Amino acid sequence: MKRSALFGHEPAASVRRESFADGLRAVAPALFATGTWGLVTGVAMIKVGLSTAEALGMTLLVFAGSAQLAALPLIAAGAPLWVVWLAATVVNLRFVIFSAGLAPFFKRFSLARRLALGYVTSDIGFALFLSRFAGTPPEERGSTHQVWLFLGMAAGNWLAWQTMSILGILLGHAVPGEWGLDYAAILALIALTVPMINSRPALAGALAAAAVAVLGAGLPLRLGLVAAVVVGIAVAMGTELALERLGRAAR
Amino acid sequence: MSHSLYAWLAIVGLTAVTVITRSAFLVLGERFPLPERVQHALRYAPACALSALIAPEVLTAGGALVLDPASPKLAAGLVAVAVMVISRSMIVTMAVGMGIFTLLRLL
Repeated sequence: MKRSALFGHEPAASVRRESFADGLRAVAPALFATGTWGLVTGVAMIKVGLSTAEALGMTLLVFAGSAQLAALPLIAAGAPLWVVWLAATVVNLRFVIFSAGLAPFFKRFSLARRLALGYVTSDIGFALFLSRFAGTPPEERGSTHQVWLFLGMAAGNWLAWQTMSILGILLGHAVPGEWGLDYAAILALIALTVPMINSRPALAGALAAAAVAVLGAGLPLRLGLVAAVVVGIAVAMGTELALERLGRAAR
Repeated sequence: MSHSLYAWLAIVGLTAVTVITRSAFLVLGERFPLPERVQHALRYAPACALSALIAPEVLTAGGALVLDPASPKLAAGLVAVAVMVISRSMIVTMAVGMGIFTLLRLL
């Protein structure tokens, strides 16, 4: 491998394989959270009255936990289809923001491949990927290593989600609500989030986002979540600017 | 419309929603490129989004604020944050958090 690199041949196959494995390793600690969410979502689909076939179709096609959880009560109530779709779109708005963050890494691909790369993006995959590569200079974005690491993370996430979601669908009627499974998923999210809050601007942003999300918890269509992300980012950037100014003033 | 047709139409539309929202800027990125400043700001998006998902789950019940430190969700959540900061271990954090949550719930 070293030799072919010396002769100027990119050892593409092994780079892909190793990067894919790196991605699987990077996402592994998060899969407990993903799997728990998947299980909760699988059970929820059965509990609102979807047939086993519909629930399997939903998890395998829609592949979006929070949007599915938001749509389920509306489907159960027989809400107009456009309301179901709009609610899911609003819950998924954060992915529009995420796609903007990922765009510089995937711009060399065809439309079909970009649609596919977008489809397999998860909250956790995005967070892990961008916290790792956000600092890369623009000209180095979209390397084979980065793309295959992303695919490895997506594959691990997809497998964990679908396996546990299907398990939840099959077990649906047998799982009692008192197990507190949904809370286990929250604890897993806490464990994922803490290491991301690694600077004062990030802490300020996270606290602001949390506060807005709590204040907006009663808003319909999980609009509070969208507002929280927007305010959180603004506060983090404001804090960063303020700290820069303080630093300059001190010098 | 039969219930089954309704459910399948909902599912097909939701699939389109997933694809469209997740690939929005991957597809439009060249026509509407994002300034470097905005991309820099997006670095903070993950921590903000995850905090925003977590906070209402531990701090509210049925849309109302719950600031009672004896609330199982809040107490276990705060302890979990502290345990994660100190231990940096997801397994330890989940074990301690679920232990406290279950204990407080049964008391």
